[in-house]
Amino acid sequence: MHGPMSSSGRGRSHRMGSFNGKPRRKKGNNELTTKEEVPELLQKQAQGLLEKGEEIKIAVSTDLRFDSTYGKDWLLVTDKRLIAFNQSGVLGHDIREVSLTSVEDIEILEMYGNNILKVTTSENAFELARYSKRLTPKFNLAVSELEKLSALKDADSGDGGRGRGGPGAGGRRRGRRGNGGNGTQPGGDKSRCEKCGEPIPSWSGVCVNCVKKSKLIFRLFKYAVPFLHVIIPAFLLMLLIRFVAVLPPILSKELIDNILMPVGTAVSTNQALPETSWGQLQGIADTLGGWFGSMPLGGSFGHLIAIIFMMVGLRVFTMGTSSIRGYMMAWVGQNVTRRLQNETYEHLNALSIDFFHERDTGNLMSRITHDVSRLRDFVANGLQDIVGDTFTILFMCTFMFSYHWKLALWTLIPIPCLIIFTIFFGKKMSKVYHVLWKRYANISTILASTIPGVRVVKAFAREQYEISRFSDLTHQVFTGEMNAAKLGTLYRPMMEFITYSGSIIIWLVGGWQIFQGDLTLGILFMFQSYMMQFFRPVYTLCQMNERFIRAGTSAERVFEILDTPPSVADKRDAVALANIRGAIEFKDVYFSYDSEKDALNGVSFQVQPGEMIGLVGHSGAGKSTLINLITRFYDPNEGTIEIDGHNSKEIRLKALRQQVGVVLQDPFLFAGTIAENIGYSKPGASRHEIIASAKAANAHDFIIKFPDGYDTMVGERGARVSGGERQRISIARAILKNPRILILDEATSSVDTETESKIQEALERLVQGRTVFAIAHRLSTLKYADRLIVLKEGEVDEMGTHEELIAKDGTYASLCQKQTELSKIRAW
Amino acid sequence: MNEAIKVADELEFLDASKVSIGRNAFEELVVQLPDGTIHTKVEPVRSFPVSETTRYISLLDNEGNELGIVEDVKKLTPNSRDVLTEELQKRYFMPKITKINSLDGQFGVTTWNVETSQGDVEFGIRTRYDIVTLESGRVLIKDADGNRYEIENYNKLDPKSIALLQTQM
Ligand SMILES: Nc1ncnc2c1ncn2[C@@H]1O[C@H](COP(=O)(O)OP(=O)(O)OP(=O)(O)O)[C@@H](O)[C@H]1O
Ligand SMILES: [Mg+2]
Repeated sequence: MHGPMSSSGRGRSHRMGSFNGKPRRKKGNNELTTKEEVPELLQKQAQGLLEKGEEIKIAVSTDLRFDSTYGKDWLLVTDKRLIAFNQSGVLGHDIREVSLTSVEDIEILEMYGNNILKVTTSENAFELARYSKRLTPKFNLAVSELEKLSALKDADSGDGGRGRGGPGAGGRRRGRRGNGGNGTQPGGDKSRCEKCGEPIPSWSGVCVNCVKKSKLIFRLFKYAVPFLHVIIPAFLLMLLIRFVAVLPPILSKELIDNILMPVGTAVSTNQALPETSWGQLQGIADTLGGWFGSMPLGGSFGHLIAIIFMMVGLRVFTMGTSSIRGYMMAWVGQNVTRRLQNETYEHLNALSIDFFHERDTGNLMSRITHDVSRLRDFVANGLQDIVGDTFTILFMCTFMFSYHWKLALWTLIPIPCLIIFTIFFGKKMSKVYHVLWKRYANISTILASTIPGVRVVKAFAREQYEISRFSDLTHQVFTGEMNAAKLGTLYRPMMEFITYSGSIIIWLVGGWQIFQGDLTLGILFMFQSYMMQFFRPVYTLCQMNERFIRAGTSAERVFEILDTPPSVADKRDAVALANIRGAIEFKDVYFSYDSEKDALNGVSFQVQPGEMIGLVGHSGAGKSTLINLITRFYDPNEGTIEIDGHNSKEIRLKALRQQVGVVLQDPFLFAGTIAENIGYSKPGASRHEIIASAKAANAHDFIIKFPDGYDTMVGERGARVSGGERQRISIARAILKNPRILILDEATSSVDTETESKIQEALERLVQGRTVFAIAHRLSTLKYADRLIVLKEGEVDEMGTHEELIAKDGTYASLCQKQTELSKIRAW
Repeated sequence: MNEAIKVADELEFLDASKVSIGRNAFEELVVQLPDGTIHTKVEPVRSFPVSETTRYISLLDNEGNELGIVEDVKKLTPNSRDVLTEELQKRYFMPKITKINSLDGQFGVTTWNVETSQGDVEFGIRTRYDIVTLESGRVLIKDADGNRYEIENYNKLDPKSIALLQTQM
């Protein structure tokens, strides 16, 4: 979770081996190194090329060859030269040697599924190494060391926009290695675990191999600690309940042996009642029996009643205490849930945008709901059950062995079968349930995507397709459930059979011992009832491992959220700029969302306070990206953004965002009233202000025509208002907070031209004294802009006033011309 | 650099003391604005029909254009105030529910039998989304025909009504 991503799989020689067959984890060999052990053969060959005293500084192996097979080639770098060994034939190597002084440029060509390291000299160029994306971090490091060795670094940063290599051959030069800033790098390789390098199952988002269950579970205890004052009494209560629960068979034994049998036999043989050796309980029974002394059948019947009373008493006691204990633990469990959920949600809010881009909403939601409740179950029940069941078994064994150790030994014979069987079935079951769980998840995924997308489904008449897709899934669930049912229906009878065989053994062995006069009927009955009670605790104990794994995985999924540091965060000494004037300067800013493709490629410009800047450019040129950097949804990978002369990374996020008003390209409204949505930007905004900003956004007129006016509910995501209305509401929201920097990203793209010019008129006065960035494809929108910046493929293409750019006759001029032509056609 | 304008300062309300609101022979609202212009068939509209019933009343002319906003009905001259209040009461009918007698639910449609400030009534509700509970305990209800009802504070109803209401929320 911490540190650079995609640092997986170093120091691994046979890449394919890790996919198939047993996962191979080499702990401690995962350090990113550019000085690998060079095979002797190559070392010898290299030695021949080196001068005296020349030392190998960098030695990196690839995992791909130029003939497109997996294999290891080598790149060695000394302080004088580069040597590439590329295997040709079975054993031979092509050796290429380039002197460092002749190197003019080193670049990494990012291809599809693999990269190539290319070196250019003044006369020619060499492709020295080819490697798969897994080795990206290693080679990035190697190249930056190489640059240092060849003193190329300065030359390189001189003109970042050189863009050699271009789009040709599908390869693209990446000006910068986006991996520079550690936490900052968004995306990256989340498909592999950073610790062990194994692929991470996408359903869990967490490496299953690396979950250190014990550690996580220990950490989970932290959440239980504040409730120890309830947990400990509940635990003691549980022990008491478990103990009391194994007593009834002893009572029935007493009932049979000491009361019923003697009476029965006495009736038939006239024997005296045998002496009991049953200490205290007998004493109690005596006293109780004494109360019934006047009963017709004398003392014995009194004993019977006494024991029955005790049986009832024990039952009532267990029931009562169990429910009290259940309530206590429910309280603990719910408290743990609440704390975990609140903490996770709070942290989720602190996390930066990239975190949410990498994971789907459904996954995150299930972590906060599903996984947390699994943890609650584990804390509240799981652990105590395990201890409790162990005690139950211990209690039962103790009693059985103390009453009749020989029979006890016999009784325990089927238990290993029970254990093996349960473990075996448990494994099968968990596999089946795991599959089922995923299938159910698929159903929610399909619902989550088609219900909000219902318009698209209907518009393209794909209902039938969606229905059949859905019914495929329900069929899968059906088969899964039937598999589970098959196992389940098999498991029960088998279990019962084993238990039954146990009781047969007791009948057999016990019966024989009764013949021998070595056993009483009561003890036989007692053993029979224990046999019946054995099943449940054994079962839960066998499931223990499974429970631990599940709780561990859930804990990891929850803690992953808690452990992710926000990639955009306040520095400790961040300044709280209370009054931003609005001067903005971009200094050679590079940014990439995924470190594969640059979205901004060395952007530099300067904006005066109060200036209105129009941002123009083709779709995908990086306009919204530029704005994302100003609002610090992301931080640049390289270069700086200065606001009023402060590096934006040094400004406190809250202070910055309080003074920046944004209308996003894709405005989002919360389910609530219009007034609430407008007021969202300024807690406690008065109605006066809300109306005023709605007026400025030209929204007031349509709002008061709704029967509910400003109290109209806009529905989920603002679904009940039109696109243009939604935009105007969000403009009002941005204006309301009276921002120093106002950003309008295609803010009026969905309204008609007349409404747009009304909005502009209203805004014209408002934008005075504020720095405004307005993005628009409809160039007329930008008629009030002081200056225009034209972006093209992440770079500043042109900059200047409308007149200047027209005079320049470049990109902007041609865009303008096309639009006027278009409008002429329309006018006609 | 000149200071940025505050949005709120951009909004001007009608000068309440100089507005006069009356009725003509056709029972239409006639408004004389501070600038002296006279408009007939004026429609008063509440900006916040739910949360603010006597403030921010927008006056629309017969074409639906806004003539101005009355910030507070109380600031008007007594005559105008009475006319406007009466007109608003006519336009916005939202009885207050004081007691719920019974609720009958079948397949999503619930029939409510209630006592309101304006008398007893029975109405049907189609979805539970037509019942909106605000934080203050206020409940807003829209029935199947589009009629509105409100409960000022559901915590203050009698226990039986509360129990019935809770089944719907
Ligand atoms: N969250 C993201 N993750 C990965 N790549 C992204 C992301 N957002 C945008 N991009 C890519 O970055 C590039 C610039 O996107 P950007 O949104 O800045 O374009 P734009 O100029 O605003 O385009 P438009 O006019 O269509 O809104 C595009 O190539 C886009 O595919
Ligand atoms: Mg955009």
